Order: sequence, then structure tokens, then C-alpha cells
Amino acid sequence: MNMNRLRIMVLDDEAIVCKRLRPALEKQGYQVDTFTLSADAMEQIQHVEYDIIITDLKMKGIDGMQLLTEAKRRSPKTELIVITGFATMDTAKESFHKGVFDFIAKPFKLSEIQEAVSRAETKIRGR
Amino acid sequence: MWPCFKEIANRLFSRKRDLIAFPQVFEQFQALLQNHQRAMEVIADLGEKSGGDYIFDRKYLFDVVHELQDLMLKIVKGLNLIASNRYYELYGVLDRIFLPMEAELRGRLVLTDAPYVIPFRDAPLDSPELTGGKASTLAEIVHKLLLPVPDGFVITSRAYHRFLEYNDLEERIHLLLEEWASGSAELSKVAGQIRYSILAGIIPQDLAREIMKYAQKTGAHWAVRSSGYGEDGELSFAGLHESVMNVPPAQVPEAYKKVLAGLYSPEALTYRLRMGMIGEETAMSVLCQEMIYSRASGVIQTVKLDESDSDCLAIYSSYGLGRTVVEGRTSLDRFVVEKHPPHTIKSQDIGRKDSLVQACPGGGEEEIPVDETMKCRASISEDTINTLARWALSLERYFKRPLEIEWAVDEAETCWILQARRLLVSDHLDRGDEDICESCSLYPILIKDKGVVIHTGVGSGRVYTVRENEDMDDFPEGAVLVSRYTAPWLAAVVPKASAIIAERGSAAGHLATIAREFRVPSLVSVDNATEILSEGMEITLDTHHRLVYSGQVTELLRYELLQSMVFEESAEFRLLRRLLKRIAPLHLIDPQSPDFTPQGCTSVHDLIRFVHEKAIQELMDVPSFLHRFRGAKVWTLASDVPIGLKIIDLGGGVAPEANGDRVSVEDIESLPLKALWTGISLREAWSTEPVAMDFKGLMASLTRNWDGAGGGVMSSGFNLAVITKNYLNLHLRLGYHFNFIDARMHDEPHNNHIYFRFVGGVTDLTRRSRRARVLAQILSSYHFNAVTKGDLVVARLMHLPKKEMELRLQVLGALIGFTRQLDIQLRSDQDIPRFVEDFFNRHAHIAQPLM
Repeated sequence: MNMNRLRIMVLDDEAIVCKRLRPALEKQGYQVDTFTLSADAMEQIQHVEYDIIITDLKMKGIDGMQLLTEAKRRSPKTELIVITGFATMDTAKESFHKGVFDFIAKPFKLSEIQEAVSRAETKIRGR
Repeated sequence: MWPCFKEIANRLFSRKRDLIAFPQVFEQFQALLQNHQRAMEVIADLGEKSGGDYIFDRKYLFDVVHELQDLMLKIVKGLNLIASNRYYELYGVLDRIFLPMEAELRGRLVLTDAPYVIPFRDAPLDSPELTGGKASTLAEIVHKLLLPVPDGFVITSRAYHRFLEYNDLEERIHLLLEEWASGSAELSKVAGQIRYSILAGIIPQDLAREIMKYAQKTGAHWAVRSSGYGEDGELSFAGLHESVMNVPPAQVPEAYKKVLAGLYSPEALTYRLRMGMIGEETAMSVLCQEMIYSRASGVIQTVKLDESDSDCLAIYSSYGLGRTVVEGRTSLDRFVVEKHPPHTIKSQDIGRKDSLVQACPGGGEEEIPVDETMKCRASISEDTINTLARWALSLERYFKRPLEIEWAVDEAETCWILQARRLLVSDHLDRGDEDICESCSLYPILIKDKGVVIHTGVGSGRVYTVRENEDMDDFPEGAVLVSRYTAPWLAAVVPKASAIIAERGSAAGHLATIAREFRVPSLVSVDNATEILSEGMEITLDTHHRLVYSGQVTELLRYELLQSMVFEESAEFRLLRRLLKRIAPLHLIDPQSPDFTPQGCTSVHDLIRFVHEKAIQELMDVPSFLHRFRGAKVWTLASDVPIGLKIIDLGGGVAPEANGDRVSVEDIESLPLKALWTGISLREAWSTEPVAMDFKGLMASLTRNWDGAGGGVMSSGFNLAVITKNYLNLHLRLGYHFNFIDARMHDEPHNNHIYFRFVGGVTDLTRRSRRARVLAQILSSYHFNAVTKGDLVVARLMHLPKKEMELRLQVLGALIGFTRQLDIQLRSDQDIPRFVEDFFNRHAHIAQPLM
């Protein structure tokens, strides 16, 4: 077993996204935690440092932008991937401005997210 | 939202019934085609999403339905503009189709309209909220896998709500459960009170009537079973608290109450609390199955619960009704069978079966001793074991989960499936220690990163390559279907296939729809698949990584079975499938059918088809056509084929250098007209017998009929092409044959279509119909969707790449010549294949790409 697995957080208030991403990423050899409530995810990043965070933007309560700002503040090395059904140039720009690694519009193919995560991994391992 | 559209439409159309000029009609028609195209793309897109390769959420479904609604409004509006508002009622059709979808998107289910009782055969497959998990699963087994399940009916969750409401029970049950959940009341007391209240309840007349209507239909006795609905589509407490067996018709209402009460047993309540389902609104349905008086019965577990023999399934069996096995009343027979064909029995333990449960003639069950000589014999034969193993595997392949299946064998040795549910597997089996990436890396990879996923999943089996003339009945259960094409006729073997790999095809094709319906992992557009994958070779397809492994990757198959989420079962996918049912099916296939009306449109696709057909008919309406063309620039085509075609160019169809009134073939820049004319000009196209006359003479005699009528094209009107660079709309009359073609030919395949209509002739209808069949057969082999009605042929084709469209337009050109006097020569039905053959022989170069 690979002991050096990357740790990934998935946050999306639509449970289906979490349910589908988890096995897909686990099969690629990552350790995955999923959250449907942004408050829980926010709580979690206070204790756990993730290598990669995949988050939706528009959610009830704390939105994705707040979460990723906080994540980056606590752990600048964490790579962030935004997935959103409201993809506009503005949100994309703002995301990249915040240091987001990749921005993927929903709906997306499994392979798209798998590739984005692989690229983030390459970047992390290359450090 | 629709009434306001109607108003706008009203204002737009006012009372103007004058014909608008052709360039405008044409503009509208082009816009309509574009919207039509976009709508078809959206539908294809939705279909593609149902294949599991995408991750989407509810918002996406909202967005797509609204986009489709918008497009359809434009399409209907477009037709009304072209047809001077004669299709006003289509706005009502839009409402009829889209309002229920709005309801689907808003709520979980509109129970108020649902029936109390549904015959099992008609049970909807994607509404377990209504029929419960058990009935829904069994309905899928009947409809998708065609395996025998006893017939019956479902008393729906709406009936349950009606029962509670009538007896004021909803609130009472809720309060009792809250007391228990908060710890202020004991489980046994709460369970007892709820059950008592239900048993004491009165079934309202309207509901009782419905139940009795179905219960008395056949005179059979019934097995009355609960069909609860849980998040995973099943409640897994396999017990008999919730089944009442051998119920005479008159006692079904009482048994119904017993089953409902059974759902509040202490065990059931504990289970639901553990699953976090206590607070939720319950949806209890009850399934009534015709009683099977089983000689033997039992349970199959498709994954063995101990860790030995991980590639085997286990069959438990005993005499009589299933209670013996499920309750473990006596020792059982246990057969361990290999999952891999030919399903060898690896081991068997024959238990000493002292007693059996049987049905009493007047209803109910009794336990009796087993005949001494039978006690230690195997309760089922090897044949039965083999049948059960095969069925269990096809169920497991479809449901993609380890299953526990209850079965029975009756006195006639017929096997039945009574129910199937997810087999709960303990965590240590579930979370295998092996690293799945490492295990897979031990298998050689045959194909990597190729093709388009049309249905997600992992499937394994032996390669079976299907070619056009192969006997499809020979397709082995569980084989991997490998094919060059994704022709519609392959659909017949899809339910048997464990995976599909094809060299051609797209995510939008017919095969994709079928593969999704039967949940078969499929990869298409894989170059050289038929060469790489040889007959009989054992392979494993994993669409998640677009890989084909050599061999059966058992670790991966097991991982998928035990760990991956079954996306097909999620609420979003079920919603998508329910929406798709209102969107994608095409019922209006035949424009000549009496149902080809606005009322006949029951899906978005129907409506699209209807509008398209009617819009084309508007363009075929010759008098208005001519009327619309006053003042337009008309070219005459100068060609060896003296058809005297008149051409109206609406942009880019004729070379800018051309001048005067005549245009040569070389100056035609309209791609579809060019391609068609290449076919028409083929010399061999025009002779069906050794050529006695010279070409021009032949043509002259052929075209005399209308040419002789004189007066130029505008008065005869029929031989007219309206073109642009990428478009052709052609009316062509040769002798008594009338051809109509509407075609688009772009770089982007999604924009491409050919619509071909052929009718007429001089002989009797029988011969003309034969000709229609010859045409349809030839067109079908070029993947046209061709239908015939009498002497009429309507053929359609969409979305092929430019090059392939070109070939098909050439074929149409050649066919137009070939069919000229074909009807005269078709003296009997036996002539049909000969002439089809003749066409291909004559046009070897056109037929080549089909080989």
C-alpha cells in the first residue's frame, strides 16, 4: 500500500458530486474526505492540512470563495480546484486571482477532474 | 410561464395569413433548422449524461430543461411563421410536455396524481418512491432482463398515505416515534402501539375497491410483501415480519394491513433508526405477487460472505416454500458455484431436511415432515443450479452490487425469481487491503486512452465479434460485444453483453441509448478494436480510465462490485431518466400515420420531428413555392444529364464568376448539390438493361414527360434546387417519380442531415411498393433511417461527417437514376434482393466503404 497518499478534500452541497468523486479519486490512489456542508469543511481545515481541496463556489452559508481564501491563508501549499455550475469569466478570474490551481465548469467528465488532480499532484510532488 | 408566451405569439402573428416571400421563409427555415439542431444536441447531451461519464447536479438538469423549453418555443414559433400560423395548437402541446417536467424538477414526486394500485407489469421503473424498492427492482428484472417473476400488483405509497390520512394516523405515528427517539418511551411499547393502530385502522372504500379489483382478477392466491423505499432503494432486513403468504383474494386487504404493521416491528424500527430514516417521511408500498407453490426454494448470494472462493456464488436451497430457508428452520443444501462460465459446482453440502413449509388449500401455510427417502437428497438438480447461477450473474451485472436473490422452483421445474436485494457485505470484505492500482498493473493493457465512453463501468468476458450477417442468437451470455459499427440491429444482444466495444459510433447514437438502458459498460469509436481484440479472447473493459486489459481482472471487478457507487441508482440519475422519458423517445416515426398530429406528440423529440416534417412539407408546397419566388434570380443548370434543373442560390451556392442564365456543373459550389449531381451523372446509374439508346436519347425519353409540357421550369415547378454553399433543397420530378431532398453538409457533423422522400411510378401499387422496399434496403445499408408506406419512401440521416454525407448524396443521385423503371421490372418479391445486389454491383466504388 502506498503510504504517501495525497489527502484531498471535496466540498459540494450536492451530495451526488461527493458520492461520485470519492470512489473515482480513491481508485487513483488518493485519500479522500467529502463534505456537503461548508461549515463542516471550514471546521475541518482548522485541524487538517489538505494537499488538494476541490470545492464548489455557490453554497448556502459559507461560500466556496470564503473557504478557499481561508484554506490558502492557513496553508499556502494547498492546491485548490474550483468546480462550479455558474461558470463566468468573473468568477474564473476571481478564482485564479485567489491562487486557484484549476477551474472546472459543471457538468464535467470524470476524466477532467482526474487530470486536474494529477496535474496538481505533479506540482506538489515536484516541490 | 406559458400563457405569456401565447400572448407574445398572438401579437407576433396577428391575423396575417399572407404568404411571406421565400427568402424570408428560407431564413425562418434555416433558423428553425438551427434551433432544431441545437435542441437535438441538448437531447443528445442529456442522453450522454445518463451514461455516467459526467458528474452533474440538479442545477444542470434545471438549466437544460429550460434551455430546451426556450428552443422549442422558438421552433414552434418558426413553423408558425413559415406556415402562416396554421400550427397554433402546438403551443398547447408545449405546455402539455413541459409542465410535468417542471413538476418533476420541483418536487420529489407528484403523488397526488399517482394511482393507489398499479399492475406490476406497468410499474414505472424510475419511481421507487411510488412502488417501493422491491417492486421497482422486480419490475426492472422483468422489463430489462426478461427473467420470470410472478405477476401481480403494487399497492403504492399513495395508498399508504391515503390509509394513514383516513385513520388520522400520520400525526399519531409521528408523535410515538418522537417519544421513542428522544428516549421517553420504550421501543417495544411504541412498536406495539403503532402496530395496533394500523391493524385497527379501516381501509377507505375507494382504496379497498381498487385493491379488490386486482386481487380478484385471476382467482390466484397471493404473496403479500412489503416494498419499502430507502435511500439505497432497498430496506435490507430480510425477514418475514413483512410477508404474508398464500393469501386468498378476499383476505388481501387484511394482509395489506398486516404488512404495513410489520414495518413497525421493533427490529424494523431499530434498523430504520440506525439508517437515519426515522425522521423522514415514510413511503411504504406493498407488493402482491401470485403465489408460486414451490417444490423447492431458497436464496442465492452472489458474493460469498466468508472469504474463501471469492470467485464463487452460493446457492442455499430446501424443499417447499422459502420460509424454511430464510428462517433457517432446518439444515439446508448449499452449493458453491463458480461465477465464471460454465459455472462448475465447486462444492456442495446436502443438509438433512426434516421438514418443509407448504401452502394450505384454503390459504395460509403449514409445516410438514419431509418424506424419509427425500431428506438427504439434493433438493434441486444441476440444471436448476446452472440456471440460477446464470440468472444471478446477469442480475449482478445489471445491478452492479452483490445481491441476495430469493428464488423458487415449481412442480413443473420452472424457476422463478421472487425478490432481489442488495447483499450487505461486511467491512473487511468491502475494504480490501490490496491496492487496486497495483493489482491492475499486473495485467497487460491492450487498449489505452482511446474511444468515447457511452456508458460508464467495468465489464469482463470473452470477445464475441458481431458482423452484419452473424446469427445474433449465438451471442453468449456475458460475452463482450465487439463490432465495427454501432448499427441499430446490434441492440438485440446488448442485454446479454457484459461490455461493448465498437470501432465507430458516438455518444448520441441509438446503441448508446440501449447500452444505457441495460447499463452495459461501453466504449465506442475505438480504432482497430476488431483487429486488436480477437475472437474468444478474455478481456476486461474499464471505462473510468478508458482501458482494455487482457484477461479477467478479478480484483477490479470485485472492487467495483463492493466499493464503487452505483451511479444509476442515485436520485439525480433517476430524475434525469424520468426527464429523458418525456424528452428523448421518438414515437412519431411515420409521417403517414394517423397519429402524426400535434395530439400525437408525447415527447420533446416527437414535437421536434413533427415540426421538422411540417416545415419541410411547407417547402414542398409547390404553388406557394412558386408564388414566393416572384422576382428571384433563377439559373438553369447546363449538364449532360438533361434534367433542366433550375437553381436559386441564396448565398455561396454558385461561383461568383458565373454569369448569364446558365450555370455549368463546374460552377456549382453548393457542396450537397455537387455531391448529388456526381451521383446523378454516373453513366451506369441510368441503365438498368444494356443501353440501347445513347445517353442523351435515353434521358430525353425519360424526361419527356414533364419537359414536353413546356413553359419552362416555373410553370412545371418541380425541378428546382434552392441552394447555399452547405445546403440543398431539391424538388425533382423524373417521369412519374417525385424526389425531394433536403440536405445540409457542414464541417461540423452535428449540423448535417439528409432528408429524402421518394414517391410515384407508373405501375400498380404492388410493384411500386417493391421498389420502395428495394430503396429502403439500399438506404438502410448506408445507415439511413428508412421507412416505407406503400410506394412512399422517407429516409433520414443525421450527424455524419462531411465526407460520409458526400458519399450518401452520391448514392441518392445514383439511386434516382437506378429506380427510374425499376418498378416495371420488379415482377415478384423474389426480385427485391436481386436488384439490391445489382445496385451494389453496379456501383462498386460507392459500395466499397460499406465493406
